[in-house]
Amino acid sequence: MNNSEKLWYLVIICLLIVTILISFTLGASFISPQEMISAFSGHHPNQNEILLTIRAPRILAALLCGAMLAVAGALSQSAFKNILADPSILGITSAAELFVTFGGFLLPTFTGGKLIDALLGGAFALLFLTSRSVLKSPYKLIIVGVALMLTFSGFQQLFSDGMAQTTTGSLNGITWSDTTGLLILGVSGMLIAVLVSPWANYLKLSGVQLQTKGASPLLMRFSLLAVMVYLSAGTTAVVGIVPFVGIVVPNVARHLVGRDYTTLIPMSMLLGAWLLLVVDTIGRIVVLPSELSAATLMTVLGGPFLVVMLQRRLSNGIKSS
Amino acid sequence: MELNQVSFRYPKHQTVLHDISVEAPKGKIISIIGPNGSGKSTILKLLAGILTPTVGQVTLDNQSINTFSRKQLASKLAIVSQKNDLYDEIKVIDVVKTGRLPYHKLLDVISDEEVTQYLAMTNLSELAQRPMTSLSGGQQQRVWLASALAQEPEYLLLDEPTTYLDIHYQTDLMAILKQLHEREQITIVMVLHDINQAFKISDELWLIKDGKLVAEGSPEKCYDSELLGAVFEARMQIVTVPHYGRYIVEIPGK
Repeated sequence: MNNSEKLWYLVIICLLIVTILISFTLGASFISPQEMISAFSGHHPNQNEILLTIRAPRILAALLCGAMLAVAGALSQSAFKNILADPSILGITSAAELFVTFGGFLLPTFTGGKLIDALLGGAFALLFLTSRSVLKSPYKLIIVGVALMLTFSGFQQLFSDGMAQTTTGSLNGITWSDTTGLLILGVSGMLIAVLVSPWANYLKLSGVQLQTKGASPLLMRFSLLAVMVYLSAGTTAVVGIVPFVGIVVPNVARHLVGRDYTTLIPMSMLLGAWLLLVVDTIGRIVVLPSELSAATLMTVLGGPFLVVMLQRRLSNGIKSS
Repeated sequence: MELNQVSFRYPKHQTVLHDISVEAPKGKIISIIGPNGSGKSTILKLLAGILTPTVGQVTLDNQSINTFSRKQLASKLAIVSQKNDLYDEIKVIDVVKTGRLPYHKLLDVISDEEVTQYLAMTNLSELAQRPMTSLSGGQQQRVWLASALAQEPEYLLLDEPTTYLDIHYQTDLMAILKQLHEREQITIVMVLHDINQAFKISDELWLIKDGKLVAEGSPEKCYDSELLGAVFEARMQIVTVPHYGRYIVEIPGK
């Protein structure tokens, strides 16, 4: 890691800390830093309650979701050899959500069922994305992905209209039990992502090249995809779809620290955590007493980002196997 | 390393190679020469195990190449292809590190120190942290060579290593190869476009035409204007250039 990369890490870590502190103060009721200190020392039980049972799990959940989705995006971009490949654009998270809805309909009481349903959904979407002809053309991959995404969300609407529960990509009302689930998922998934991050670099070489070097490109690719599905379907199971994090964050991170996945993946983690916390905090306060979901704000932010990126990089940014 | 009555054709295509039997003796430099499309690169890919013969077999140390695991094979032979695609920006040192994959478990982290010697061998130490896209064609070719050397191969296969390089880089690369060969006793099999280069550097030549092995032997034996004329379908003449030695030239006209 060179000095400018270290500097960016430092900047993002500082930003994260500041944002976390600010996020604790904001919400339906403003809690100043002084009040926070006195609340934590037991003087204001009401505020203590708000901070610990409402804001703390929500902040942690936002950090985790952002980090998980951003890492999933980076992994998917490496495995698909396409910088536009993002689990939400490719329909993986919509498939996960649809399967969660199905699962809730068929086996409503099965514990841990949501996560398993979401993983099955993500894997199901992957089936359509990993055919040879789709992998060959970068644009085909994206078009097939968008078509899948629309199809799955169409079905999702069809089914969820008849039922009361829907996941909306919002962190509103998240509990400690949800957050603990996310924590286990996120930490395990991201730890594996860091371990396999050198593979993401090796995959920049062609398959034949890697084979003549004794490696198995297929194994590497599918491992990255499996971790990607685990992370993105995992967040979807808990909070629903939050789109575009996986495309915005890794591509910004590439500008900051370059294209080496061993530094890009940890940077995406931090940046993703920060971005989703910012988005969620803004969503919490702009339309008080109501809220804007993180998903809505990410759509508004991510859509234009994708358009600008496509226009700027049309000729040189997208390569595929 | 040996080709045993090897024929090859791509599915639904005409036969590319016809019944080739030839041996690459250990510790020698062998060049495959012949006109474009005669099947030279296909021979190299068969030797590397990238392609499998339609008929016959390829053996390495008297053992069929299919019996080696991918890792075993990669620790015995390395190939530098003519075209090396990269899908994203990658640092020089990371490309060289892939050459160490045969010696590592799946999740091992390969350290920078492990590849410093291969960077040094190919005069790349200064460029280690640079992205590949910032390098010239000749430098990139050296990176792929360094990555192949990092495999510590007994056999090194090179597909037109000097094509696209200007003359200075060509001489450079040839000097590096010669030096390596002398120091490490690597067996080198390469496809060379420039026949004079091939004659100068090789211990043995394989002359290929239309997928058939027309002749094999030492350069001494192959300095034969009729033989070369037949292979390249041109009038060839061998002249002597002061301070260089024999030089093969094509005489225009039929």
